[in-house]
Amino acid sequence: MLKKFDKKDEESGGGSNPFQHLEKSAVLQEARVFNETPINPRKCAHILTKILYLINQGEHLGTTEATEAFFAMTKLFQSNDPTLRRMCYLTIKEMSCIAEDVIIVTSSLTKDMTGKEDNYRGPAVRALCQITDSTMLQAIERYMKQAIVDKVPSVSSSALVSSLHLLKCSFDMVKRWVNEAQEAASSDNIMVQYHALGLLYHVRKNDRLAVNKMISKFTRHGLKSPFAYCMMIRVASKQLEEEDGSRDSPLFDFIESCLRNKHEMVVYEAASAIVNLPGCSAKELAPAVSVLQLFCSSPKAALRYAAVRTLNKVAMKHPSAVTACNLDLENLVTDSNRSIATLAITTLLKTGSESSIDRLMKQISSFMSEISDEFKVVVVQAISALCQKYPRKHAVLMNFLFTMLREEGGFEYKRAIVDCIISIIEENSESKETGLSHLCEFIEDCEFTVLATRILHLLGQEGPRTNNPSKYIRFIYNRVVLEHEEVRAGAVSALAKFGAQNEEMLPSILVLLKRCVMDDDNEVRDRATFYLNVLEQKQKALNAGYILNGLTVSIPGLERALQQYTLEPSEKPFDLKSVPLATTPMAEQRPESAPITATKQPEKVAATRQEIFQEQLAAVPDFQGLGPLFKSSPEPVALTESETEYVVHCTKHVFTEHMVFQFDCTNTLNDRTLENVTVYLEPTEAYEVLCYVPARSLPYNQPGTCYTLVALPKEDPTAMACTFSCMMKFTVKDCDPTTGEMDEEGYEDEYVLEDLEVSVADHIQKVMKVNFEAAWDEVGDEFEKEETFTLSTIKTLEEAVGNIVKFLGMHACERSDKVPDNKNTHTLLLAGVFRGGHDILVRSRLLLLDTVTMQESGGNSFPSFCIQKQKYPGFVLF
Amino acid sequence: MGLLDRLSGLLGLRKKEVHVLCLGLDNSGKTTIINKLKPSNAQSQDIVPTIGFSVEKFKSSSLSFTVFDMSGQGRYRNLWEHYYKDGQAIIFVIDSSDKLRMVVAKEELDTLLNHPDIKHRRIPILFFANKMDLRDAVTSVKVSQLLCLENIKDKPWHICASDAIKGEGLQEGVDWLQDQIQSAKT
Ligand SMILES: Nc1nc2c(ncn2[C@@H]2O[C@H](COP(=O)(O)OP(=O)(O)OP(=O)(O)O)[C@@H](O)[C@H]2O)c(=O)[nH]1
Ligand SMILES: [Mg+2]
Repeated sequence: MLKKFDKKDEESGGGSNPFQHLEKSAVLQEARVFNETPINPRKCAHILTKILYLINQGEHLGTTEATEAFFAMTKLFQSNDPTLRRMCYLTIKEMSCIAEDVIIVTSSLTKDMTGKEDNYRGPAVRALCQITDSTMLQAIERYMKQAIVDKVPSVSSSALVSSLHLLKCSFDMVKRWVNEAQEAASSDNIMVQYHALGLLYHVRKNDRLAVNKMISKFTRHGLKSPFAYCMMIRVASKQLEEEDGSRDSPLFDFIESCLRNKHEMVVYEAASAIVNLPGCSAKELAPAVSVLQLFCSSPKAALRYAAVRTLNKVAMKHPSAVTACNLDLENLVTDSNRSIATLAITTLLKTGSESSIDRLMKQISSFMSEISDEFKVVVVQAISALCQKYPRKHAVLMNFLFTMLREEGGFEYKRAIVDCIISIIEENSESKETGLSHLCEFIEDCEFTVLATRILHLLGQEGPRTNNPSKYIRFIYNRVVLEHEEVRAGAVSALAKFGAQNEEMLPSILVLLKRCVMDDDNEVRDRATFYLNVLEQKQKALNAGYILNGLTVSIPGLERALQQYTLEPSEKPFDLKSVPLATTPMAEQRPESAPITATKQPEKVAATRQEIFQEQLAAVPDFQGLGPLFKSSPEPVALTESETEYVVHCTKHVFTEHMVFQFDCTNTLNDRTLENVTVYLEPTEAYEVLCYVPARSLPYNQPGTCYTLVALPKEDPTAMACTFSCMMKFTVKDCDPTTGEMDEEGYEDEYVLEDLEVSVADHIQKVMKVNFEAAWDEVGDEFEKEETFTLSTIKTLEEAVGNIVKFLGMHACERSDKVPDNKNTHTLLLAGVFRGGHDILVRSRLLLLDTVTMQESGGNSFPSFCIQKQKYPGFVLF
Repeated sequence: MGLLDRLSGLLGLRKKEVHVLCLGLDNSGKTTIINKLKPSNAQSQDIVPTIGFSVEKFKSSSLSFTVFDMSGQGRYRNLWEHYYKDGQAIIFVIDSSDKLRMVVAKEELDTLLNHPDIKHRRIPILFFANKMDLRDAVTSVKVSQLLCLENIKDKPWHICASDAIKGEGLQEGVDWLQDQIQSAKT
């Protein structure tokens, strides 16, 4: 009691929570009252409330204490007090997973669910299903079937919803209740109908046809429940999405017809479904947009909000479709609900003309301080989209962003702004210097480590190439003095990059780095020492390799390789080339110039696809000693049509001197099983087939894998590109489709597959060189080779760039895959690694005459890199 | 106090509440017996094996019984003990036609009698030698021999032959129980 008073003093809000200072042990002690007779219902209900409160606060109850409390609670079933009984149901549900032997209340609950007291019946059903596991379900099946078709809606709904939960672990049992669910689906009660349809859908959802049938059946007869309509719309749009896009479907007609439903909820759901269908045409969008337009002038704020929010989304992809609503949106700009106003403005920014930008920006800045971060992020997204659309406006927009950057705001908001500024800098070189200096100012007082390090990284990358690099040093060095270790380490790396690229600044950078060598933190000290030593060598190649361009290997791969090395120490030094490369170069993980989304996935360190392959291949004895997996082809290639007897896909795995073809095969004939399946290969070049690893058995519809190992041609590296003719050979055993019984005897058969191509790109892995120039210099002239090609069939520079990147399978650096408009020359910078770990860099100057000419200098440490002429007639050697 | 209780009992004002446990192997007829003791309009028509327990109420001439009708299936028997503490009397039901499992019934009874929550209490036990209508049913005397009931020295006990379906023998048992409980009170 005393405590209560203390707490009131502390809490200025005044709304005191009587449960705030509950102690688990005290509450459990109190629960012993449950064992006493006669029962005091009020007191007991209060104690149950406390227990539930504790559980919901995340308090951990041990099995023994929970079980003890649970059994004490079961005695409360003697009381007929309705409140107490319902508290018991809640307690049973909450404790069903923490206490043991909770099935003890089964009979009590079945009695309540079939009893006379309607108020007990629904909750009893729910509690019962919660404590029943799949082994016990049989015992209550009969009751469940009855409850589903019960006349009392709350009972029926409870049973249906509980069945839905049971579906997860007892699918086959619940499936037997569809007749009852079907009956409930024609109920007049809107909730019962909705729940019944939900159950029916989930029972059938893996059967496309059944779902389609269900939708057409229920929509033909019409539904009472708007909730059911909404769900059917969602189901239909999901089906449509999976059907990839044919809009002639009755499903689409159904969704469209819902735009004329009498319930606003249904109308909105239908509009939103249409708008979200991928690849929706303007014509299909129009009716959806016009109902949203109507909602914009609804007196209900919720409807206005829903409409404008959805229109905002549409505007990202189809700004022109939304233009029709501009007038209505203008009216919402002054809406008293700030969320609606923000969305209206940001939508207008996307659809409006360039001339209206200034006005709208002014409007929005008038209440920017009143809206929440979440909506501020929406504004930033709109600005980011605008910058791409109207590059000329970037000055106005940048200013707006800088103002926002200076104001208060949470992490997501600030990150959105920083992302946006960075993408503007990348798109517009004129804005680089202003952008960088504003970011410098921002990190002077930035509480978010992630943003500070990101900006420091950017400064290190871009700063040295600006006109006046020295002005950034002060900002960076301030971080070393003022910040905590993560930011200090970032700052040290940034400093080193300036030193590596600018000789004039080098002496002062060295001085600064020397001070960092005494830092308190290991990482900072290590970095400073390392960079200092590299820089003191004054060798361009070292700077390029160790400071300017980072590691290109996969980080989890490196970790594993190093661990392996420490487990089996050897005389040989650790070879970085043995580490698999990162499959996607770091920069690609950021969706380029995509609108900044508020929620970004945390970066994955989980096993990549290639690492999974590596593990699978390592398990095959025939593939021992091939060395590390260099590259797996990004997408399996189909070697059959999709609707044939056998379906085969091939994935190519490249090793230093070998290649493994992985064939994933499926047998779609239910009257036969294939055994001992292999794919025979006939190469056109000097590839040599070494061995076949068969798939033992391919029963109907169960995918299996076989492999073929080939040695790559050693003598003639020009024979990299090669075509293989493929033939699948196997033993057929007929079997009975219904029983699966198989004949003893089989016979040999074969099946011709489509040809398999190995291209130049298969031998090369993309890598990212942040600083291409430095990397180029690092390689040195002796490996350089220059050739000129005419690309006779190609009409534009973009097309040429696309084809070259695809053909070589290399990474376009420094955004050189973007061809500026109205130019007739372009330089494309490509980086990659040839199998075996040889770096390749390509700098191709493209010149648009009548056709594109390509002058290609390959700087590579692998001397005989070369492109086959005869395979690609588009390239002609000068 | 005792007098007052009885007086109000006689006047039908308020009946004394007693808490009873109904135990015994599965299929012995516990639920059927309790059901039969309830007023005819509250009786349930279809009786299924109990899972866990179920709380039932019925009245005798001067007492109001709250019965915990436990499940007799093997895997639930070890849960009986959670309810021993609160029981003021025990009804133990035996299927007199199930000679095969008579030893099991005896074992369960012995475990019950030796349980710390029961052992030192003078708690009355009513045995129903149920299903006496069946042809191969043994007599109640035989049942009490098979279960060695004569060894129970420190608790009042009584055995009745019963047929729960027709309701025969039940009233006799309940009357005995009522007397025991009331005499313990006074
Ligand atoms: N012939 C006959 N059958 C009986 C008698 N009493 C019960 N039964 C039958 O015996 C079966 C089991 O009865 P229940 O009352 O469910 O037995 P229980 O002891 O409650 O069983 P559990 O709940 O599983 O522990 C039912 O089919 C009853 O109809 C009786 O006196 N004579
Ligand atoms: Mg029973």
